[in-house]
Amino acid sequence: MVRAKIALVAAFALLTAACGGGGGAETTSDGTTKVTIGLIPIVDVAPVYLGIKKGFFAAEKLEITVQTAQGGAAIIPGVVSGQYQFGFSNTASLLLAGSQGLPLRVVAPGNSSTNEPGKDFGAVVVKKGSPIKSAKDLAGKRVAVNTLKNINTLTVSNAVREAGADPKSVTFVELPFPQIPEAIAKGDVDAGQLVEPFLTIVKERGDVPIVDNVTGLVVALYFTSEQFAAQNPKAVTGFTTAMKKSLDYANSHPEEARAVLSDYLKLEPAVQQKLVLPKWPSEIDRPAVQKLLDMAKTDGLITKDPDLAKLIP
Amino acid sequence: MRRVLLAVALPAVLIAVWWVVSALAGSFFWPPLSTVLAVFPETWNADRIVGDVLPSLARLAIGYLIALVGGVVLGVAIGSFRTLRAMAEPVLEFFRALPPPVLIPVIALFAGYTGWTSKIVTIALGCLWPILLNTVDGVRSVDEVLRDTARSYRLGPVDRFLHVVLRGASPRIVTGARQALSIGVILMVISELFGANRGLGATIVQFQRGFEVPEMWTGIILLGLLGVVLSVLFRLVENWTLAWYHGQRQAERKG
Amino acid sequence: MRLWKPLAGIAIVAAAAEIVPRAGLVDARFLPPFTTMVRALGRQVVEGDFWLALGQTLGGWALGLAIAMIAGVLAGVLIGSVPFLRAVTASTIEFLRPIPSVALIPLVVLIYGSRIQSALVLVVYAAFWQVLVQVLYGVADVDPVVRDTARSFRFSRWGIVRTVVWPTALPYVMTGFRLAAAVALILEITAELIVGVPGLGRAIGVAQSSGAVPDTYALVLVVGLIGVVVNVGARAVERRTLRWHTSIRSEA
Repeated sequence: MVRAKIALVAAFALLTAACGGGGGAETTSDGTTKVTIGLIPIVDVAPVYLGIKKGFFAAEKLEITVQTAQGGAAIIPGVVSGQYQFGFSNTASLLLAGSQGLPLRVVAPGNSSTNEPGKDFGAVVVKKGSPIKSAKDLAGKRVAVNTLKNINTLTVSNAVREAGADPKSVTFVELPFPQIPEAIAKGDVDAGQLVEPFLTIVKERGDVPIVDNVTGLVVALYFTSEQFAAQNPKAVTGFTTAMKKSLDYANSHPEEARAVLSDYLKLEPAVQQKLVLPKWPSEIDRPAVQKLLDMAKTDGLITKDPDLAKLIP
Repeated sequence: MRRVLLAVALPAVLIAVWWVVSALAGSFFWPPLSTVLAVFPETWNADRIVGDVLPSLARLAIGYLIALVGGVVLGVAIGSFRTLRAMAEPVLEFFRALPPPVLIPVIALFAGYTGWTSKIVTIALGCLWPILLNTVDGVRSVDEVLRDTARSYRLGPVDRFLHVVLRGASPRIVTGARQALSIGVILMVISELFGANRGLGATIVQFQRGFEVPEMWTGIILLGLLGVVLSVLFRLVENWTLAWYHGQRQAERKG
Repeated sequence: MRLWKPLAGIAIVAAAAEIVPRAGLVDARFLPPFTTMVRALGRQVVEGDFWLALGQTLGGWALGLAIAMIAGVLAGVLIGSVPFLRAVTASTIEFLRPIPSVALIPLVVLIYGSRIQSALVLVVYAAFWQVLVQVLYGVADVDPVVRDTARSFRFSRWGIVRTVVWPTALPYVMTGFRLAAAVALILEITAELIVGVPGLGRAIGVAQSSGAVPDTYALVLVVGLIGVVVNVGARAVERRTLRWHTSIRSEA
């Protein structure tokens, strides 16, 4: 047993040593820092790919490797543990993580809704001919979302509450975005929250959007860990500068943003032309973040205020 | 008295170490044990037990029983006939070797993710192979001499089956059933991670998604306790069914 | 010779997997015909990604299994041979062993994300108990008469372990290895599938979520075949070491 323990402890020590936590950025001889960014493979993150292509990151002496994950809740631990140096996550998961005391720092805005009702990049959809016609009808139903306890569960619950029904009666089912259309078609779930390009894909086959759940929101943000920010201030300011340039560029060149999608998504050309692009502002809309936080507190998702000054400096 | 002391000593030391180290560590991922225990009762309240834990256990029980009955019946059939055994072996070998979680995406194609069916099928299919293959092995290794003796004593086929084959194979069947139980618990959890909505595994994922680390730890502890309780239950059933076998070994030991 | 029977068995199942979807008994979108799966596999094996994923899976599996085997056998022989240790650790082992390793998934996700350490922790934890428990069974199975005889012949403790305990425990160690190898593969693939650790499991998840059903089945076939190779390999070693055992004897 003693020997076994020594072996186990040694194995564990090896593991923890290999992981190290937090740091993990390499700098080459010419001063370029190699960093990994955790993204969800959806339309929202197009500016990152565009920025890499246009050399905005290289100009800041950053070499970016992209890794994809299912949702922000999976990316946040990755950033904290040092697997990724930067990450993309929805605002609700970030606020929740902040309120639980995770050491995170937001470094750039991600994307916002278009604020054009009925023409946004995300919505709750149902099968054609479904008896569910509005948020109120979602009570007691199964709704697919990409991650539990994130911006989508929060905003759908909020819509149900505002429609006068009980949001606690909704059963949320966690499925990756690409699997939600299939689950809706088969009736495995009664409705699903989708973002582009999946929203256009299901609209093409006749599914009906019933709730605009993303309108008026700062949907997502880019962030790093406090530890990495403290150890690599230059890399972080460089990332912020490059990211803002990328966001501005994507906003003013929507056709190029549309074209870059085929670099990381398999899309039918018709879908690629039709899908709704989100807005990519280069400044964080703080009142909108506060609004989301208030919504989360009403919902009970967040019970303790995060330190916003620390989280979003 | 001494036995009780021996049984309690190491666990007590380990828990004490956990208590002290977690209290001193101040790490986000290793909350103090005192905090974890404090949130345990409110986390696993009646609502969660009825709505999440019991349905998970029910699915485990149904899937496991299907596997047990199916595995023993098929195993005895295959084990008793050399030709059938030779033909079935590579196929069984394949299914036994297939990690059951990869079946989940495939089963979901047919039955979806959210309902009970896909989860029960996953558990049953995962538990089937250890029981089936151990039964085949057990039937195969029933001593040839014993079989011949039974035949020469003119025991009828039914008696031969019950008293010689099934009895002779029962230690192996029990071994298979034990392996299947731990696979069943694993699959009970994993089947809820895909298309997570309700259930014990899904609840733990929710805690992780919400970064509620102490609550997540209570889930891990609950799962651990569940595994322990199931293994104790299994031991009781095993002692009851294999009393003759253990008695035999005991006698040999004393002799 | 005896080879035609297993081949016939495989042929029957493969034919069934071809005919059932073609005859429309099962929706071919959910279960593509066998030849379609094989074609998808053919497309996969010419791509570098496939071999990379295969290497990642095998590497993670082998490393985890090796750690678990060494730790399990050492701990098992030691605890099993010393009555005091057995008495002290029994309750702890009985308690820790049944804890399903998947309970640790949320924890490793938080700590390691989708890096290989996540898979390694799960694999080692799950496989270790399989080995340890089998070795303990094996040591407990030693014929007391033989052990006492050896003792009365004044064999040293190490001598008893080598000549009495080890031969008796060996079948159990082999069983433990076989079980641990299988469980380690399960956990490696699970970690890849659920946590997203790079490897074949992750490739299955990606194929399935992008609706590539034949590729999903092709990869599932590969994973199963890896398992078969592992088991057959373990069985071959077992046969060589245990030629005298009843369960092998009647097959010879």
